[in-house]
Amino acid sequence: MTDSPAPLQERRGFLAKLLAIVGGGAALLAPTALGAVSFFNPLRQKGRAGGFFKLATLDVLPDDGTPLKIAVVAERVDAWNRYPNESIGAVYLRRAGKKDVKVEALQVVCPHAGCSIMFEPGEKSGKFFCPCHNASFDLAGVRTDRTSPSPRDMDALEAEIRNGDEVWVKFQTFATGTSRKTAQS
Amino acid sequence: MNAILTWINDRTGIRDAWRAFTDAPLAGGACWLRTLPAAIFLTFCVQAITGFFLWMYYSPSTQTAWESVYYLQYQVLGGWLLRAAHHFAGQATLVLAGLYLLALIFSGRYRAPRETVYWIALLMVLCSLALLLTGDLLAWSQNGYAGTKVRASFSMLLPGIGEEAYKLLIGGPAFGHLTLTRFLALHIGLFGGGFALMLVLHFVFARRANRTLVLEVKKTAPFWPDQAARNAVVFFIVLAAISGLSLWHGCREADLHRGVALGSPADPAPTNSFDAARPEWAFRGLYQFSHYFPGDKAIYAIFVVPGAILLLFFLLPFLGRWRPVDYLNRAGTSALLIALVGLSYLSYSQDADDPKHRNVLAEEQLRADRAIALARAKGIPATGALTLLQNDALAEGRLLFRQNCASCHNATDKDGLDIAAEKPSAPDLHGFASREWIKGLLDPKQIMTPKYFGGTKIRGGMIDFVRKTLPDLLQDENGKQSLEAEKNLAKVVMAVSAEAQLPSQCDLDNRDKKLIEEGRVLLVDDFGCTDCHKFRGQGKLGMAPDLTGYGSKAWIAAFTSDPKSKRFYGQKNDRMPSYAESVDPSRNLLSPHSLEMLADWLRGDWFKE
Repeated sequence: MTDSPAPLQERRGFLAKLLAIVGGGAALLAPTALGAVSFFNPLRQKGRAGGFFKLATLDVLPDDGTPLKIAVVAERVDAWNRYPNESIGAVYLRRAGKKDVKVEALQVVCPHAGCSIMFEPGEKSGKFFCPCHNASFDLAGVRTDRTSPSPRDMDALEAEIRNGDEVWVKFQTFATGTSRKTAQS
Repeated sequence: MNAILTWINDRTGIRDAWRAFTDAPLAGGACWLRTLPAAIFLTFCVQAITGFFLWMYYSPSTQTAWESVYYLQYQVLGGWLLRAAHHFAGQATLVLAGLYLLALIFSGRYRAPRETVYWIALLMVLCSLALLLTGDLLAWSQNGYAGTKVRASFSMLLPGIGEEAYKLLIGGPAFGHLTLTRFLALHIGLFGGGFALMLVLHFVFARRANRTLVLEVKKTAPFWPDQAARNAVVFFIVLAAISGLSLWHGCREADLHRGVALGSPADPAPTNSFDAARPEWAFRGLYQFSHYFPGDKAIYAIFVVPGAILLLFFLLPFLGRWRPVDYLNRAGTSALLIALVGLSYLSYSQDADDPKHRNVLAEEQLRADRAIALARAKGIPATGALTLLQNDALAEGRLLFRQNCASCHNATDKDGLDIAAEKPSAPDLHGFASREWIKGLLDPKQIMTPKYFGGTKIRGGMIDFVRKTLPDLLQDENGKQSLEAEKNLAKVVMAVSAEAQLPSQCDLDNRDKKLIEEGRVLLVDDFGCTDCHKFRGQGKLGMAPDLTGYGSKAWIAAFTSDPKSKRFYGQKNDRMPSYAESVDPSRNLLSPHSLEMLADWLRGDWFKE
């Protein structure tokens, strides 16, 4: 007899524990891991292409810097459904900069109470005007009256020119009524 | 009978287990505190059973969630009561779990040997809060949708992993079908299942703690009969409360509002966001608290402070080992409770005093009622109940008017459905082009009030005519009021108003056909309206708005498209925007469909049952 009974018992106990851990672990962990993979799938989904939209081409924008109002119509995908054309807002686009071409983009939504700002062509270059409470802004979106009802200037949006003549704008909406420009998700 | 029971017991041990349960001595004898976990077990059973049957009717997707809840609520026999019972059992579970937790703390029973029992109670409170939060979204109504959107966006505050946490929570980059499927799974599987697990663990842990305590205390008594009797009393009180609340809610206003109210279907359009979303009562204190941490500081109100408090609560059994800290724990819990109640009160009273908030809620109620009425009368298309509202002049027209017109125009309705401008600077459009409206316009006393041109910059022209020329036309040669001329003016009013072909005046217009014919002639010959206005081939465009088809659907659509055109105000246009002047639809503020809805709404031309 080389094996004493005690170590045999110990070894059996160890084997049983190992079996329980491996077996139980496999039974619980494998399906959980499978579930987790699918659970994390939303991380692969991208939002609206980084929020940038192609809204126009350069040749559409007037040379004299007159702003043009462009509706932001976007395709929306919700899991298995595709909604081809949904209007999600509008943007004023205008040419700026004399030497190198630059495009400025402004939200049409008034920062005061959320009305739609109008563009009024005038003798010189025209101005932006909100019909609700008579806030007026210059072409760069800066408030022109000292007692403006608007707590801040018009909300500028990031605009880029891509591929030579495509105008891409990062479309965002902002909380109204505050001096701070806070983007809404 | 006995033989059958013995047979069953021999093979399952169920009777032995029951006897062990009822005969085991309880430390300290029967007490009311022990009725609380029993009552929680009861309310959870109600929730689980009613929830199971709700599940049979529920369909989680953005086009079917509200719709399936609507169907359950209004078409399924007793569905509203099932939903109400589930709702109130959920509220009761939270109240009871909260009470139990507080009772454990204030009676010092959160300490050894009951630490695990206390932790389970704490987890029960958290689970029932999570059930409330996830359940709120499932009906996909405006309030639940908007509120959940805000709450989910808090995950973005987490530094570094914000966006990932948000996507994992809502199942993608934006709210949609997968948010609903995810929340349903969390609601039932994780939090519902988790709660069931907590109940089992509570039973095991409480029994174990009891076995230790029995050895230490003198007074013991078995479960049966004293504790059983107390449990029964609490059972009946809780059941009566749940059934009472569910039924009482059902008896209030006919059958439209029976049971727990179903809001209007969620509208994901950014322009139609619901500005009055509020969390359930249990979160009101935290909601108010977060108001003191604006902007970037929100993370303190949402994660840091509540997280720290929660951590303290988990550590309470360890902290409470020392007597003085035990008292501190109780004092701290009281202070927290008072703060939460105070903050909640503040939040509710602020809302009650806020007319804007009440206004948004009233609008939401109108939309909800309309959605339900339309669904009942027409049935819901496959695209969902939101389509019903979007194609309904009463709902959509009203919404468009509030968004686009109400900054200048009132629409004062005696029925209490007023839309009031902040600072009216243009005519009140309620009953536009009706006989009464046109009669008022032609009244020298009224034309310069805010109801008509009072707030506008329009001067001369029509105003001078009504105030100076018209009174002369209404006098006879002797300078007296001419009854004849007044009758003629009434005919002119009828004739102009008949151009609108308002549905509400259909019978009147048919009755007064002859008078209207006469009015059309008088308008040109006696009153000289066509000196400025064009009317049915007489007069010219360019000086004043065209009276041909005045107030008709086509006229209103054309006017709102471009009031600056020659057919309407031309250069004299005050501040009325052109909503669709371009041939390129993407340049226009409103689509033809929107203009049509607006026109129909102004004309009172919508679906009636």
